[in-house]
Amino acid sequence: MSNSHLFLPSGFPRAPLQNGIGRFVCQLQRITIKFCKSNGSSRGVREFIEKDLLDFAHNYPGIVVYVKPRRHHSPCLSAEYLNGERQYVNCHNHSRDEVIKWVNLLRTESGNQIIRLRKMWHTDCPSIQGPWSPFVNRDPHLNVVEFPNESLSRPVYLPKTATEQLKEIFEKQRQTNVSSLDEKQAE
Amino acid sequence: MVFTSLALFVRNRGPDEFWRKRKILKLSAHFYGRRRNCYSIAIRAVHRALVSATKGRKLKKEDMVALWETRITAGCEEHNMTYPLFREGLVRCNILLNRKTLADLAVWEPRTFKSLVKVAHARVSQDGLAGVTELGDPPSGIITRGMLK
Repeated sequence: MSNSHLFLPSGFPRAPLQNGIGRFVCQLQRITIKFCKSNGSSRGVREFIEKDLLDFAHNYPGIVVYVKPRRHHSPCLSAEYLNGERQYVNCHNHSRDEVIKWVNLLRTESGNQIIRLRKMWHTDCPSIQGPWSPFVNRDPHLNVVEFPNESLSRPVYLPKTATEQLKEIFEKQRQTNVSSLDEKQAE
Repeated sequence: MVFTSLALFVRNRGPDEFWRKRKILKLSAHFYGRRRNCYSIAIRAVHRALVSATKGRKLKKEDMVALWETRITAGCEEHNMTYPLFREGLVRCNILLNRKTLADLAVWEPRTFKSLVKVAHARVSQDGLAGVTELGDPPSGIITRGMLK
């Protein structure tokens, strides 16, 4: 089935600024955690903040973490990336494990828009010898040739004509006749 | 309240009717006109779309193979060789590259492809297959396994 019903833009997998070829830079710039201190919908987020947040912040010092308690609001995660894109995740009634998974997903994402991948690979250098062009297999002397040119106007391969073949056969017969005559004379 | 007999004509088709229809309408979201919104019309259109998708999977493979063969033939003809002889020569030299790889090499690595054509030419000339003499002289400087007999 075609993918038109998804209404997704499509493209190829890309790393922003060839990230990872030299050193890897985490694309997540800052993550803002908004939650309510008392409402039950923020329980998972509160548990995450109590138990896992410090480890997360310690392991990834390049990510700035903001924690904003907001009364009477659903908890949410807002992520900002180095290319200026934002990602928003509503964590209403999420468990602690779910919040951990969402935070890890936001950390490993680049800020690129979510697209349908046309191919699962991409290269910037598809060719080592240089891609084919009509001039690759041509002799460079053609650049300075003046047309019309006799030698270049002849066909590349000409099979022997019937006349030439008959001539050859005749020559061969004459040779054999001459040689047999010589033998008879010698006898 | 007293219900008239009209109420008896309403059939309860079950609680999941909405979701059942949604499965179909999700697939017809990009169709034209009533075919994307009205279930009775959409289901016919969706069935036709799925059938043509099934048929198309096989056709796509055939189309890609034909494209690769065209490209390999074009690359061979540039080096004075024909596609069937090229394939036969490579197989006899135990170079079992598929059409996709050969086409990619012909496009992106033209010198590698030229050397493959030369190898196939040498092998085919040595084995003396039909149609080799029209290709001209076999290339020199190539050692095939058959020469070591």
